[in-house]
Amino acid sequence: MKREHQETGAGGGSGYHVATAADMAGAKGKMTAAPSMGTEDDDCGVDELLAALGYKVRSSDMADVAQKLEQLEVAMASTAAAASDDASVLPQIASDTVHYDPSDLSTWLDSMLSELNAPPPPLPPPPVAAAVYHHHHHHHRFDVSTASEPPAITTVAPLRPSDAYDFKPVPPPAAASDGRIVYGLDPQSEMIVSPRDQKRKRTCSPSSSSSRGTEAGRARGSRAEGASPAKPAAALPVVVVDTQETGIRLVHALMACAEAVQQENLKAADALVKHISVLAASQDGPMRKVAGYFAEALARRIYRRRPLSQVDRALDSPALEDLLHLHFYESCPYLKFAHFTANQAILEAFSGCRRVHVIDFGMRQGMQWPALLQALALRPGGPPSLRLTGIGPPQSGHSDALQQVGWKLAMLAKTIGVNFRYRGFVVSSLADLESRMLLERDGNGGDRDDEGEEEAVAVNSVMELHRLLARTGAVEKVLRMVLAVRPRIVTVVEEEANHNEGTFLDRFTEALHYYSSMFDSLEGSGGQAAEAGEEEQRHRAMAEAYLGRQICNVVACEGAERTERHETLGQWRGRMARAGFEPAHLGSNAFKQASMLLALYAGGDGFRVEETDGCLTLGWHTRPLIATSAWRVAAAAAAAH
Amino acid sequence: MMQFTTSVPLLPPIGPDGLRLLLDEDEDDAPKPSLGGSWPWRGRLLASAKTLGSFNTASCMEQLLVHFANAIESNDATLAQQILWVLNNIAPPDGDCNQRLTSAFLRALVARASRTGSCKMLTAVAARADAELALHLHRFSAIDLASFIDLTPWHRFGYAAANAAIAEAVEGLPVVHIVDLSTTHCMQMPTLINLLANRPEGPPLIRLTVSGLTTTAAPPILDMTYDELGSRLVNFASSRNVAMEFRVIPSDPGDAFDSLIEQLRVQQLVSEGEALIVNCQMLLHYIPEETVGVIASTMNIGPPMLSLRTMFLKALRSLEPTLVTVVDEDADFTACDVVRRLRSAFNYLWIAYDAVDTFLPKGSEQRRRYEAGVGWKIENVIAEEGVQRVERLERKGRWAQRMRATGFRSVGFTEEAAGEVKSMLDEHAAGWGMKREEEDLMLTWKGHNVVFATAWLPA
Repeated sequence: MKREHQETGAGGGSGYHVATAADMAGAKGKMTAAPSMGTEDDDCGVDELLAALGYKVRSSDMADVAQKLEQLEVAMASTAAAASDDASVLPQIASDTVHYDPSDLSTWLDSMLSELNAPPPPLPPPPVAAAVYHHHHHHHRFDVSTASEPPAITTVAPLRPSDAYDFKPVPPPAAASDGRIVYGLDPQSEMIVSPRDQKRKRTCSPSSSSSRGTEAGRARGSRAEGASPAKPAAALPVVVVDTQETGIRLVHALMACAEAVQQENLKAADALVKHISVLAASQDGPMRKVAGYFAEALARRIYRRRPLSQVDRALDSPALEDLLHLHFYESCPYLKFAHFTANQAILEAFSGCRRVHVIDFGMRQGMQWPALLQALALRPGGPPSLRLTGIGPPQSGHSDALQQVGWKLAMLAKTIGVNFRYRGFVVSSLADLESRMLLERDGNGGDRDDEGEEEAVAVNSVMELHRLLARTGAVEKVLRMVLAVRPRIVTVVEEEANHNEGTFLDRFTEALHYYSSMFDSLEGSGGQAAEAGEEEQRHRAMAEAYLGRQICNVVACEGAERTERHETLGQWRGRMARAGFEPAHLGSNAFKQASMLLALYAGGDGFRVEETDGCLTLGWHTRPLIATSAWRVAAAAAAAH
Repeated sequence: MMQFTTSVPLLPPIGPDGLRLLLDEDEDDAPKPSLGGSWPWRGRLLASAKTLGSFNTASCMEQLLVHFANAIESNDATLAQQILWVLNNIAPPDGDCNQRLTSAFLRALVARASRTGSCKMLTAVAARADAELALHLHRFSAIDLASFIDLTPWHRFGYAAANAAIAEAVEGLPVVHIVDLSTTHCMQMPTLINLLANRPEGPPLIRLTVSGLTTTAAPPILDMTYDELGSRLVNFASSRNVAMEFRVIPSDPGDAFDSLIEQLRVQQLVSEGEALIVNCQMLLHYIPEETVGVIASTMNIGPPMLSLRTMFLKALRSLEPTLVTVVDEDADFTACDVVRRLRSAFNYLWIAYDAVDTFLPKGSEQRRRYEAGVGWKIENVIAEEGVQRVERLERKGRWAQRMRATGFRSVGFTEEAAGEVKSMLDEHAAGWGMKREEEDLMLTWKGHNVVFATAWLPA
C-alpha cells in the first residue's frame, strides 16, 4: 500500500510534506532548541537532532538507526532478564557505552549489539503481526505480515505474549501525571540544555547509581505493575533512560500507532499505544505532555470510547471550555495576538464612521472588546455609537454567560462614555444564523435613519470558522450570510495547520508537528520554568488541557464530531475568494504593533510575527501557528448584491 | 437548533452611587479569582473623553499612562499589552501636542519595562526607539544653539531675570567673579557682558568660571570645546572693552561640584575684594537629593541624612557670595514612585509640547530636536532609577526652603528687573507670561508655572 506525498497549502502557501520518521526526529530536534531547520529538508540531509548531538546520520538511514535502537533495547532487556542474578553486568555496559566514538551512531549500535552478544530480538510469535516499516523517501509502507525480510523487520515493542493484546485503555494523562511529578521535581529534566551538553547517560536497572534513573525506574516499574498486576516482577523492562533516543522512538511509536490505526490494525495499535505511554513517561518537558495527549487521543480512537461517556459530556460543557480558553488566553500570546491584530483591522476600518456594529462569531468571555471599546472611546473626533452582537454556544443549566459578558461590556462602555448596545445570540452552529437576524434593530426597526448614516459592520471570527467544515456546505452558507450583512471588514483568525484534509495519518502527522510546537512555545513563553510562579504554572497546565482537547478531537473524532478542522491560510484564501471576498491588507502598522506587543511580556524570543501578503502570522521559531487575515466584500460581489 | 435570546441590556438609570455599587458587585462576583488579569478592565478607573467634558483628552491619556505604568510595575502582562495597544492607536508620535506628549511617555515606559524586565526583544524594540531619539544627541554649533535658545523664553526668562539681578548686585564693584552653572554653555553670558560693559561707572574685570560637565549628558550639546568657547567669549568681551578671564573646572553635579567648590575656596584666599556671583541656571536639580540616599552613605561623606544638594548649598554659603541666582523648572520629579513622577512630569511637560506649535513649524528639524530634548527628559524621569535618574526637579518652594536652611535670604527682583523680563517676553507668543510670587519671578504658559527665578544673599 502506497501513499502519495500530498502537497497541501493551496495558493502558494508553504506546503507541508508528509513527515517521515526522520522528519519527526527533526521536529523533535526543533523542540530541543535546535536552530531553525528548512521545512523542506529532503531525506538526503543529515539528521539535525542527531547532528546536534554529534552524530552524523543521514536522514535516510534513520529508519535503520531507529531499528537498531529498538533492537538494542530489546537485546538489553533480554540480557537483563537473563542476567537477573548478576546485576553488575548492566551497569558495566552502561559505563562502557560512553567510550564509543559517537560520530557513527550506526556502527556504535552494531557494536553494542554484538558486544551484548544478544540473541536476535525476539519477534512476537505468530499470529502476532510484526510492524514492518519500509522507509524509502517520502513513501511509508506499513505492512502487516507474518514473515518478512530481516532488514525490514522491526519489533515495535518488547511485548510478552501474555499481556500483549489485552485491550485495556492506556492510562490517560491523569495517570501520566503521576510520573510527571517524579520528573517535575528534577530541575535538570528541562530540555533547555543544549543537546550537545547532555551526557548520553544510560541506566540499565533500578540499582544504578543514578538517582534519576532510579526514580525513572521506579516510576516505570509502578506503571508497569499497574498495567499487569499479575506479573509485577516481569514488568516492562527498564532499559534506557536517554531522553533523546527515547524521544526518537516515541515519535516512531506514535507514527507507527497512527499507521496501525489507519490500517485498522487494532491489535498492533493497542500494543503500540501502550508502548507510547511507557516511552512518554521517560520524557521530559513538552514532548512528554504532547505524547501523553496524543496517546490518550489514540487510545480513545482505538478503544472507540465514543460516543463520549457521561463524564466526558460533563467535561465537554462550554463553561469548562471557556474556562480553559481563558487560561490559554493568559498563558501565551496567541489569542492576544489574534485579538490585537483583528482589532487593529476593525479600528482602522471604522475610522470616521459614526455608527459601527461588530458581529463576533465567538463571544466567549468578550476578552477582545474592552481594548477596542477604549480605543474607540478616545479616537480623534469622538467615539462612534457601537453595536455589538455576540454569538455563543448554548450553555448548560440556566447560565446566561453571553448576557453576563454583554452586561460587563455595557458597564464598561458607560464608564468610558461610548454609546453601546449589545445583543447575544445563542446558536449551536453559526450556520443557523441568518443575516436578517444580525442586522435587525433592537425591537423597533425604525431607527436606521435616526442619524442618517448607515452603520459600518465588522464581522469577527477568531478560531470559529474551521468548526463549520464538519458539515458540508456550512461554511459556504455562513460566508454567504456574512456577505449579505455587507461588512466593511471581516477579520478571520485561524490555526495555521491542515488538520482537515488527507488521510488520518496525514492529519495525525500534521497535528503532531503543530501541537509539538505549540506545547514547546507554552514552555518557552512562561519564562524559566523554575521561575514560573504557581499561578503561571496553573495557567499553563490549563492551557495544555485546552490544547489537549483539540488534539483529542483531531485524532479521536470523525464525522460531525470532529470539529477542530483547522486549515491553512492558503486554503482560507481560496475559500474566501470563492465566497466573494478580497483581501484587506493588514498594514505595516499592525505588524509593528503586533511585534511590540509581543515584545512586551511574550517571555521568550522564540515567538515570531510575520507578514505575508497582508496577513499576519504568529509562530514559534520557524513554524507559523496562527494567522490573522482581513477581508472585504469584493467589488464584483458587492455589485451582485 | 437555535435558541434565540434578544438581549438588549438596557441599563437601569443609575446615579454615581449606583454605578459604583454595580462595579463593586462586579468586583465581588469576579467568577474565577484565579483569572485576575483576564478581565483586565474590570473595576478599574477608565479613561473617557465624555465624562471629562470639554477637557481635552490629555487627562484620559494620563490615566491610561498611569494604568500602563501600574501594569508594568505589577508585571500584569495582559493589561499592559491592552493599554499599550490602545495608546499606540490613540497617540501617534506625530499627532497633536497631547498625542506627542503621550507618545513620548509611552516610549519612556516601554524603555522602563525593557530595562527592569527580562525581555530581550523589548530591549531591541526600545533600542530602535532610542536610535530615533538620538536626535537629542545633536551637536549644536554656537550660533545654532543661540538661535535655538532664543526661540522660547524657557531659558531666556532666567537669563534676563538673573542678568538684571547680577548687574544690580555688582554695581560699582571693580572685579566680578561669575560662576556660571548652566546646561546651556554660557549662552547667557554675552548679554551679561554687554550689560556690564555699558554700566555708567565702566566695566568691571570679569572672571568667568564654568563647570566642565564630565558625565552629565543632558541636551543640548555644544559642538565646541570649552577652550574654544572661552576664547570666543573673551574675544567678545574685549570687543566690548571688557577685560575677561575664562576658566573651566571639570566637575559634576553628581558629586555636588566638589572640585569646583575646592577651586573657589583657593581662589578666594588669593583674590581679596572680588565679588563672587553664582549663577545657577537649571543645573542644580542634577545634584542628587535625599531620595538618592544610597549615594551619601556609600560615599562616606558627612552624616548620612545630609544630601549632596544640601552639602552643595552649605559649601556655597561658606564662600560668602555676593549673589546667588537660582533659576529652575517649577515641578517636582523627585518622587520614588514612578507613577507619581509620571503624573508630575505629564502635568508639567505638556507645556513644552503645547508651546512648540507657536514657534516651530511642524516637521522642522529644529522642532524634532526640541522635542527629542523633551523626550530625553521624560525618558530619564520615567525609565531611569538611582544615579542614572538625574532629572530631579524640585519646586520653587522646596528650593527656597533649602536656601533658607543653609543660611541665605531672598532678595527681591526690582521693578527694573521685572521690566527687563517683560520686554523680553513681548518678543514671544502671547501664551507666555510672568508673575511675581513673593519676591520671585515666575514664567508662565497660559497661566501655568513654568520656570522660577530667585536671587539670594547670605543671611
